[in-house]
Order: sequence, then structure tokens, then C-alpha cells
Amino acid sequence: MTATTLNGQVDPPQNIKARKGREANKAQGIRRFKWTVLSPFLALMAFILVPALLLQVFFSFFQFSIFDAGDSDSFMAYFEASEFVGLDLFIDVFRDNRFGAAIIRSLLFATGATLGCFVFGFGLALLMYRPFRGQALYYIFFILPMLTVPIVIAYTGEMILYQNGPLNDILSRLSGLRVEAQFLYKKEVALTTIMALEIWNWTPFSFIIMMAGLAALPKEPQEAAKILGASKWRIFWEIQVPLLRPVIMLALILRFLEAMAEFPKTWSLLQGGPGSATETIPVYIFLTTWQYFDISYGAALSYVVLVLMMGIVMAGIYLLRREKKSLDEMYMAKPSEG
Amino acid sequence: MSMTMTQKRNVFSVFRYFVLTIWLLIVAFPIFWMVSTSFKPDREWFSWPPVYITENATLQNYLTVWTDFNEYSTNEETKELGQYTQSLQRPWEALGNSTLIAGIATLLAVLFGSVLAYGVSRHQILSEKRMFQLLMLRMVPPIVLIAPISLWYRQIGLLDSIPGLVILYFLTSLPYAVWMSKSFIDEVPREMEHAAEILGASRWRTIWEVVLPLVRSGLVATFLFILILTWSEYLLALLLSKTDVLTLPIELSKYQGSTEGRVYGRQAALSVGITIPLVFVGLLIRKHLARGFSFGMVRR
Amino acid sequence: MSRIELTNLRKEYGNVVAVNDLNLTIEDGEFIVLVGPSGCGKTTTLRMIAGFEDPTAGEIRLDGSIVNDLEPRDRDLGMVFQSHALFPHKNVADNIVFGLRMQKVGKEEQRRKMHEVAELVRISHLLAKMPGQCSGGESQRIALARTLVTEPSNFLLDEPLSSLDAKLRRELRAECDRLHEQLQKTFVYVTHDQEEAMTLADRIVVMDAGEIVQMGSPIDIYSNPVSYFVADFFGNPAMNLIEGEFVQNGSAEFRSDSFTVSLPEKYKDISPGKGTFGIRPENVQVSKANGGDTRNIGLVEPLGKDTLLYFETAAERPFVAIVEGTESHSSGEPVELSFPGDNMFLFDGTGDRIRA
Repeated sequence: MTATTLNGQVDPPQNIKARKGREANKAQGIRRFKWTVLSPFLALMAFILVPALLLQVFFSFFQFSIFDAGDSDSFMAYFEASEFVGLDLFIDVFRDNRFGAAIIRSLLFATGATLGCFVFGFGLALLMYRPFRGQALYYIFFILPMLTVPIVIAYTGEMILYQNGPLNDILSRLSGLRVEAQFLYKKEVALTTIMALEIWNWTPFSFIIMMAGLAALPKEPQEAAKILGASKWRIFWEIQVPLLRPVIMLALILRFLEAMAEFPKTWSLLQGGPGSATETIPVYIFLTTWQYFDISYGAALSYVVLVLMMGIVMAGIYLLRREKKSLDEMYMAKPSEG
Repeated sequence: MSMTMTQKRNVFSVFRYFVLTIWLLIVAFPIFWMVSTSFKPDREWFSWPPVYITENATLQNYLTVWTDFNEYSTNEETKELGQYTQSLQRPWEALGNSTLIAGIATLLAVLFGSVLAYGVSRHQILSEKRMFQLLMLRMVPPIVLIAPISLWYRQIGLLDSIPGLVILYFLTSLPYAVWMSKSFIDEVPREMEHAAEILGASRWRTIWEVVLPLVRSGLVATFLFILILTWSEYLLALLLSKTDVLTLPIELSKYQGSTEGRVYGRQAALSVGITIPLVFVGLLIRKHLARGFSFGMVRR
Repeated sequence: MSRIELTNLRKEYGNVVAVNDLNLTIEDGEFIVLVGPSGCGKTTTLRMIAGFEDPTAGEIRLDGSIVNDLEPRDRDLGMVFQSHALFPHKNVADNIVFGLRMQKVGKEEQRRKMHEVAELVRISHLLAKMPGQCSGGESQRIALARTLVTEPSNFLLDEPLSSLDAKLRRELRAECDRLHEQLQKTFVYVTHDQEEAMTLADRIVVMDAGEIVQMGSPIDIYSNPVSYFVADFFGNPAMNLIEGEFVQNGSAEFRSDSFTVSLPEKYKDISPGKGTFGIRPENVQVSKANGGDTRNIGLVEPLGKDTLLYFETAAERPFVAIVEGTESHSSGEPVELSFPGDNMFLFDGTGDRIRA
């Protein structure tokens, strides 16, 4: 029994209980909200992605080919037709020179495309971030490639790069010679050509975020540096670049990750050819699984790539989080009044 | 011999226009070529020297890919493929599917993503770490999971179905939906909500009357941004649907695969059709594009 | 009748104590001002009264009943925010009736009250505008109107004028005063501006580091500060505060590098040691050099009615005296300064006031 004193004061224990009540209710409400919101997402993960991952693991340890299952359409037939092979498939993967080459090709492709997009995007942004006549018009044109469907880019690219196409024509006119370059069907240049298409496609991405980054830079430090006698070059390297570092990292990391997964252009133009000149990781997995129907080997390959990519993605995310954190510290609002 | 400020500025200005115009040509040429080819008659597709602007402009390519596609399939060059090709080209169905699939998946992603983003912005229901981990849904290449997904889809009846694609598009666009809508929600000052609250508005009332109207245009931008990504998707659509449920990128790819010779004019005509909505949408939200990609790294 | 009581109110953020066991009773109809430097806990206190922050411990009562567990909207409060927090997508009229709509007041009644309150704060001509089209001062009036119209028993004002320029501030300060006169409701006003506190408050609550340092009427706070902190915080120009030491040398004296002051009779038992001598600039008496301890005037700053005289001292802060009006002093002129014993303030080494 809690006592109520004459002047209406209530015993402390009861107050504390009441107070805890509101806080606890709030916390409980937020928790309920959180799980209500997350549940459809988690359900999808559980019913779609988790079974897929489990199947992936299964088939990379059990040798299976679509031909072994015969005509049976039953799901179980897959399992019955599979044979446990332990780590054999993984051993094959690590011995597979073609796979090794695909990894190197993908890394080359992604690195080249990323740097290309970044250099062009950043360069254009530096030329454009201060207002000038025609800025809006240039901006509209410069973002167009990003708004074009990749497969459309592939086919349009083919029309332009075709041996009797306009690019060779333009080169002929400029040089006075009859240029008949094969941009697509020559082993030595095919990957570079795809890379050029990728750069054309995604330079707008780097351009847009570098523009936004440059526009958001505080003016005062730059003006202060100018008054202190710093040259444009110094201001660029000592003030703009360090302040832009998070955005630069973002432009590089995101682009690299997406370039590692590039498939539509590479596949629809060259299917990995000529020879295996454009056989990147996604193309090799695609061929293995969907052309040679070697589901199990494809699964083992995929599994290795999944782990590899998870590693790269996590490293990328780690770097992004670090940048975000340093940015938060830099822009940390002063502790609130009072 | 040193230059004055004005001279320096003029030199820079000329240099800028020069470089920008070169890039403009590089950007514009493929688009120009696509449009120009789409109006060329058959004989000019491969002629040497190439025809830049045709004098015999025709709508035949458009008519063929959008209305007479059955006739196209029985052309001389493809006749031997017979019945099989008859049913290959289904542009209107593909347009309908693309609109439906991209539309529904995007709508779901934005609805769900913005509610989640509100929770993150106001109550930190996901930590910053989890928010970044969410990016994995987008960043791990889908090719590594698509084979088991297709087996599993086949088992549960989602293969070659609209919901099947919607689910995967929803999952892969979610990171963008959450991050982008959060950037808009973060901009609504908390004091604004407090003001509504102390004036007697309930939680939902505050969201409905104060928060939502203020982020509405941001959510529309988020929707259109994700629409661009889902509309162009190729790999998942190719492997998980292509027979019954066809989307526009796949419809286009069929012109590439169906014949020995290339049909540039037809491809170009279809390409123009696929691209126009995206360009329109993209230009509409051009001011917000940077947000979609910036993941909180650009501070205003 | 509406009375706000805070009992042992405490707020911690992690291991930072923002408000430390605060006890305060605010009487019905009182205009109380919480004042102090940034981070002193005044805004946190206000936000706990409003219900936007949960206290870590202690209780808040309105009219005798504990409201810790009530949502902000159930506490019968009105609040005006630093950023005004007007709804930018609603026009001024809709902003004002928002609270009435939430209370499900009839349409006719809404209109009547809106016009009444618009009249009261003189914004009738703005009703059709959007907040974005209004100036800072107008926005603040609108924010006031939006709060007034719901007729709460208590008004909480969180630095409402800090985003305005000096002239507008004075103008709106007068407006706040007038409204309080007219409405006779309880006003709890938070500011870091001592001048606002002095001119508005019935009672000032000075806070520092989460605790109440002194409470009292503006005159009381000004003429009877309990510590170095309060003495330094109130008054413009600030009180002259000279660090030095007290010595017993036959009689009690204060000594520093620049000044030696003999203390009046009532301080004769002062204990020797480090301390601070304080005198308000208006209490410094300036006279023509007359064979005593002379010093030269540094800067002369005429304010119109008064003139400020600055003297260089060994300390960082110059010593300031105010002399009336047009009395002609010029820079470099030698003068003598004297300090009336009744107006001296002495503080010990810890900053506490030494009383006779």
C-alpha cells in the first residue's frame, strides 16, 4: 500500500514505476513497429533467398546435370539424380584456368571501367560545377547515357562499331585512309570495347555525384585559402579533394562493384567471345549453367564467386562506413542548446 | 607576358566549351545514330559509306516492330524458322509486362522502403551498420544466385511469372528505396513534428498531415529513380521469365538472336521505344538523381 | 489555476548529466525565464516539461498531478519553437487553425478564433500567405498565433527570438510582454540572452551545468548576484571583474596588478587569499586627476546618452566605466577612479559571493 501524504505527494516507488511505464511503452511500440515493418522483408528473404542459398550449397557438393534427371519434372528427381562428390567440384574450380582467367578479366574490366568513369565524370564535373551559360543543357545531355537501357546501348554500340559503320567512316574521313577496324570481333580489343561502352554508359553516375559533391563544398575554406595565397592547384589538392574524399570513394566503390557484375552488354554483344576474350565472371557462370547445363559446377563456381564478392562488397561497405563516420564527425551538429 | 584576370577567364571559358562540346558529341552520337537508323529503309542499314541522315525516311521499322511484327516473322529471311518465330515477337505484351512488373515492384519498394526509412530516421530501428549491410542486396551480383533461384522458383511455381520477377526487383531495389527516401525524410525538421504533436495531433495524424506532404515530391523522385533501374533490368528477366512473361529488354534481344543477319532498323525502332520513357522520367527527376546514389555522402 | 512543479528532475544522456536534480515551482500566471549559457540544461528542462524528453528521474506536475506519463498533446501546453516550425505546405490561416482542428472545434468557431488571434498578434493581413513568403518576424508572430489560438494554460517558449535581428527582437520582446499582461497565463521562456531575461521575466532562473545557480526577480539577480558566474552573466556592459587577492594589512584590502582597493568597514574580517573584486561600470566614479592614483583613459566610446570609458589593465579584459551623457572625456586623459563601498562585489577563490 503506498501512502499518500497530506500535501498530495505520492511515494517515490510508485512514481518510478509510472515513469518507467511510459518509457517502456515507447520502447515497446518502437520495437513492434520495427518488426512489423521488417517482417515482410524477412519473410521474402526466408522463402526466396535462403532456400536458394541452401540449394546452391547442395548442388555444389552433389554432382548433378540436367540430363541425369531425364524427363522427370519433379523437383525430387534432381536430388535423386545427384551424387555426393564432396569437395571435388571446389577442387575443380580452383584448378580451372578458365575461371582464373575470367576473374582476372573481370578485375581488369571493372578497374578500367571504374577509373574511366571516374576520370571523365570528375573532369566534367570540375569544368561544370560553377554556373555558366548552357550549364543546364549540357547537364541534361550528359546524364542521358545513364537513362539508356544497357541492352539498347549494346545494340546501338554494335551498329556504330560495325566494320562498315559510322565510327570507321568518321575515322576514315579524318585520317584519309580507309579504316576497317574490327572493334568487336578482334580478340585484342574486344574487352576494351566493352569497357568503353561501360564507361559511356556510367560516366554520368560519377559525373552526377561529383557535381553534387562539388556544389555542396563549403565556399569559405576555399576563399580563405585563396586569400592566404594558395594557387588553384593547391586549393584543389589540399582543400577540395580531401573534403570530397567520401564522395570520391563512393563513386569508385559503387562503380567497381557494379562493373564486376556487368552482364547485359557483355553477353548480348559477344557472349564471351571472340574466343574467350570477353568471358568475365558473370559470363562464365552463365555459360556453365545455362549453356553447358552443368548446374553443379555452376553452383560451385557461383559459391566461390559469392564468397569472393561478399568479401569485396564487405570491404567496400567497410570503407564507405568509415567515410560516412568521418563525415558525420566533421559535420557533427553542436550539442543541442540547454 | 602575363594575362589579365579577364583574359585568363576567357581562355578557360573557351577551353571549357571546347571540351564539353566534344563530350556532348560523344554522348549524343549513339543516341542520334539510334534515332536516325530507326527511320532508315532496309538497304541503308549496312551501306558504305554509312548514311547519317536518310533521305528516304520511313516509318516501316516502327510499324514492323510495333504492329506488323507477325509479318516480320514470315519475311523471306526468317521463313525457314517457320512457326517457331511466329510467336516470338510480342511487343505490346512486353510493354505491358515491363510496365506492370517495374511499376508494382517499384511501388512496393518505395512504400515499404519509406516506412522503414521513417523508422530509421526517427527511431533508429536499424543501425547505420545494418543500413549499409542492406546494400548487399544490390551489390552482390545476381548471377551467383540465379540458378538456384530458378530451380526453387520452378518448384514453387514462380518461374516465368509476374510475381516472381516483382519479388526479386523489389528486393534488389530496396536499398536504394530506403536510402533515398531517408535522405528526404531526414530533411523534415523534428521541431515540425513536435509542433504538430503539442498542438494535439496524434502520431499518424502528424505523419499524414505534416511529414508526408513535405516528403511527397521526394518519394515521387525515389519512385521514378527506381523505375529507371527496374525497367532496364536484363539478366533476371532473361533467366527467370522470357517464355511466358516477356519484358521489353528481352523482346529487344530477340531481334538479335532470331536471325542470322542483323535487322538494325528494327532494333533501333524498338530501342527508341524502350528508351523514350526512361529519358522522360530521368529528365523529370534530374535534380534528385544525385541523392539516389549518394548514400548520405553529400551534405547540403 | 495552473502551476508547474518540478521535483528532483534529472536527465542523463549516457553518462552526461544534462539536468541535475532540479527543483522548481512555477506559479500560475508567472513569466519565468530560464537563462544560462549553451549546454546548461535549460532547453532540456523545457523539453521535459513539454514531454519530448523523458526524465531519467524525478517528476513533473501540472496543477498538482504528475504528467510524466502523459503525451505532449495531453499536457495542456503551448509551445513556440526556435525555428518557428511553421508547416511550410499550409498557408498562415491553416497553420493557425491546425490545433483547433485537432481539438475538433467547429468550423465557424475555428474561423472566429483564428481572426481573433490574428488580430491580437497583428497578422490579419498575412492569413492567405504561405509561411515561405513571410519574414522572420512575421513567422514568429504566426507561430505565436498558432499556439495562442488553442488557449493552453501554459506557454513554453524555446529561444523564440534568437533567429531574429536585434531590432525585431526588441519589438517582439515587447509583444511577448504585452501578451503576457493581457492573457495572464504562465509563460516559461528559455533564452541565453541575459537582456531578454532581464526585460521579460517576473522571475529569472539562472542555470549552469544542469543546476539552478540563482532564482529571483531581475533586480534581485542584477543587484545581488550569488556568484561570479551570475555577476558576469548579467549586465551589459558586463561587470568589471578583477582577479587578485584579499590581504589584511592593518585594514582589509584588495590587491591586483592594476588596482589596490581598500575595502569598507563591513569587510574588515575578510579572510586573506585569492579572490575577485567586482564593480558594475555604472557604479565606477570617474573624477579629474587630483593627486591620487591616476590612470589614463584608453578608448572612449560614446553611446549617445552615455559614454563608455575603457582602461587598459594587466588583465585581458579592459576595465570599463560608464559616465553620463555629453561629459567630455578624451582618450589619453588622466583621471582618478573610485568605487563606492556599497556597490562592490567580492567573490572568493571558488567564485562564491563574499557577504559582509
